[in-house]
Amino acid sequence: MKTWQQAPAASVAAKSRLSGVLKVVLILTGLLFVGTAVAYAQLPEPKVHEFPFMGNRGAVWIVAQLHILFAAFILGAPIFVVVSEILGWKNRDTRYERLAKEVTKVTVILYSMTALTGGLFIFVLLATYPQLTAWLIGHFFAVFAVMYPLLFIFETIVLYLYWYTWDAWQGPKKLRHIALGVLLNIIGLATLIVIDGPTAFMNTPAKFAEGGMDLKTFIETTATLWDKMNNYSWWPLNIHRTVGNVVFGGFITGLIGAYMYLAAKTDEERAFYDWFGFVGNLIGVGALLALPFAGYLLAYELCDYDASICPYMMADQLSMFFEMQGAMVGLIFLASNYYIWLSMKRIEGLEQIRMRTTTLVLMASIPVVFMLIWTRFPIPDKFALILPAGWIALFLIAGRFLKWTVGAQTLVKVAFLMVIIGNAIWMTPHAFVATQALAPDDGSLSLPHGEFSLGFVTISWGDLALMPAKNAAAFTLVFVTIVNYILYNRALRRGRIVWGKIDFVAQFVLVFLAFSAIWTMTLMGAVRELTRKYFHVFNLQYDFTPESFTPTLAYSSWVFTGVTLTFYIIVSFAIVLTLRTGKEKAHAEAPKGMPAVAGAE
Amino acid sequence: MAAQRSFIEVIVKRGIQGIVAAVVLWLASRYLFHFPPVFQVMFVLYAFLGTGVFILLDAPSLPPASGFKAVALLVAFYVVISLVYIAGASALPQYDPMVEKGKIEKIVKPKLAATEKGKIDELMKRTQELNAESQAILKRLETLGGEEAKKIEASVGGGQAAGAAHPAAGGNLVALGKEQYDLQECYNCHKIGGKGSVKKRGPVLDNIGSLMKPEEMKEKLLNPRSWMAEGFEKEYNKKLMPDKYKELMSDQEIEELVAYLSTLKDASVQTPKPIKK
Repeated sequence: MKTWQQAPAASVAAKSRLSGVLKVVLILTGLLFVGTAVAYAQLPEPKVHEFPFMGNRGAVWIVAQLHILFAAFILGAPIFVVVSEILGWKNRDTRYERLAKEVTKVTVILYSMTALTGGLFIFVLLATYPQLTAWLIGHFFAVFAVMYPLLFIFETIVLYLYWYTWDAWQGPKKLRHIALGVLLNIIGLATLIVIDGPTAFMNTPAKFAEGGMDLKTFIETTATLWDKMNNYSWWPLNIHRTVGNVVFGGFITGLIGAYMYLAAKTDEERAFYDWFGFVGNLIGVGALLALPFAGYLLAYELCDYDASICPYMMADQLSMFFEMQGAMVGLIFLASNYYIWLSMKRIEGLEQIRMRTTTLVLMASIPVVFMLIWTRFPIPDKFALILPAGWIALFLIAGRFLKWTVGAQTLVKVAFLMVIIGNAIWMTPHAFVATQALAPDDGSLSLPHGEFSLGFVTISWGDLALMPAKNAAAFTLVFVTIVNYILYNRALRRGRIVWGKIDFVAQFVLVFLAFSAIWTMTLMGAVRELTRKYFHVFNLQYDFTPESFTPTLAYSSWVFTGVTLTFYIIVSFAIVLTLRTGKEKAHAEAPKGMPAVAGAE
Repeated sequence: MAAQRSFIEVIVKRGIQGIVAAVVLWLASRYLFHFPPVFQVMFVLYAFLGTGVFILLDAPSLPPASGFKAVALLVAFYVVISLVYIAGASALPQYDPMVEKGKIEKIVKPKLAATEKGKIDELMKRTQELNAESQAILKRLETLGGEEAKKIEASVGGGQAAGAAHPAAGGNLVALGKEQYDLQECYNCHKIGGKGSVKKRGPVLDNIGSLMKPEEMKEKLLNPRSWMAEGFEKEYNKKLMPDKYKELMSDQEIEELVAYLSTLKDASVQTPKPIKK
């Protein structure tokens, strides 16, 4: 029996029960907050309270963002926890089982923080924006007073059942435990979808289908709860948040791995947490590949709802937020590829791994060729799909006949160069109106029009700044990452990996990835909220407060960093408390059992 | 020792390559692309970022740390990333909220005044002002009396009458319409006098006053599906022009905007022909 499979001693179990009770109390406190808030909202003319220092908007911003970060983890982590549990069970690989269990342990403690910050969020919202809150609760009473609390209670019960039956439901009962995990995910997803309804409604309140009735009359008189829930951005937001939560959960798992690796005292522990961090990063990066497209869908729906949102986001007040997003995405891709490189470096026999030169040429050609194609045939034209697919197929076929190869190191270096070039294209601006001055004609904020021809199409340098180029750049980042993982797998099949021997700096890359992912999440969360402009509910409920304006990116970056650091401190404590001290107790009180080397070849 | 020397050679080599790339990028972004200075700096920073990445790729392994040293390294790392992100975000051009504040106030104030709360707030404010004035008058009456008191009473009455007069009675409709064009941010999709949207979202409006009658413009504003600009079939089918102005703008504001647009009669600028749908 391995250390992590040993039954805890009686005193550990008692303390564990006590901490379980404490967590339930925290969750119930959160729910009590929500209940009180709903009741308070029914009072006529509730008083507006002023938050000192940060102002009312700042207070709501911070609490809401913290709540969303905790919620993202507790909804994202169970998705791959169950997958990991299944993998462990199917392949009889105890590493997956242990990973699933340790992430769940952290999830349980963060779950109570989600409830607490959720309750606090409603409370602060009610104290600072009582009329809006009352209005929203009035329109979504069934959601706030019935569905959401019920789902939350149900989820709490299932999560605790899932956690406390982990050791008891092993062997023949394992399937039952996995089914419980699947149920937990279904409830979690339902909770996300339900609460996304009012959130998306604030951005894109449902319009009357065929005109004839104005928005206000429709919402206030005839719109049903379903009409309000089923608005333009509801499903894009559901998709975006689900993918984003998995990315987030993956990177936080990487963070757990990094912390535990740094604290590890034995080679066995280092080997396990090296692997743990690698899997976390793999999940994070895997889901990250889909995230730009999910984000694109959400932005597309917002612009489709009201075309004035688009320039506000990308060419006017929020344009620099998008520049920052471009920089962050580039850094995240760079760091994740660097982590793959560090993982590869410790594989014995890497120098013998080679790949076709055609792969290298294909990778280098993507930004320009795809930009040309998408400029000529904008998405969703059918050629926008056929031609890029044909271009990739052409190189794959050519690779069958042309036997030239390049070494892994050369390929990786070109890949990094392409990530940097791709990101620079992403950041290339086009007539931004960051200071809200009208775009001048003299080209001082826009690109000149030096044109060149490539036979079938003429493009200008200015095209580098347009959407087709941005899409080509995003695709380059994704493609390069996929190629790096293919290379890694090839190296893994032919070489020999020694877990625990990774370069020490890799742990800081994992920390960096988690930090940057959270920071980007807070950045883009603010963008979505700010697209409501001077409305609480877009085009429906005006924001009459003095804080009804777009904050600067500089000011916002302090909020993003503050929120990220606060979240980090709490998560770090949760990791240390649940995993590190738990491990020490288990070692101290149950010294029997020889730990096996986890996963080392 | 040999590995250390070899790494120093890597740093020097990559450093030189990075500087060359930075100079090329700076020259290109300045003289070829004509980017504003902040983006010239950004591309130079990209060259240095690339240099850093390529140095890291060839860097020797970092010796492991644990205990207090590892915690200290972590804390220092967090401080550095936080500061770099804040500095990066602050270095980009900042949008000035004061510009928007003034605009938003102009849009939101009439809406607030129209709400029950707005009306009550206005009444409360007026009551407080009147109360303060009457208290002041009473005080002065107590000290003066007779003819002087009558004079004061008359002057206060006159003052109130002047205050009740509507300030916008003699407003310039066209100037107010131009302000509406700016407040509703029509320039994000349209162009007048060469200024406005750099993307093809909506038509140029320089000669719209010659092509549409005021009532037709009003019809288009209230119902964007009623008219289409020639050459803008795709944009029309995508319903790019928002169908919200009839709800967000008052009749008076629509009249003002139409009055301004009707004055745009510059035939030298090619303006797409409106087509009735």
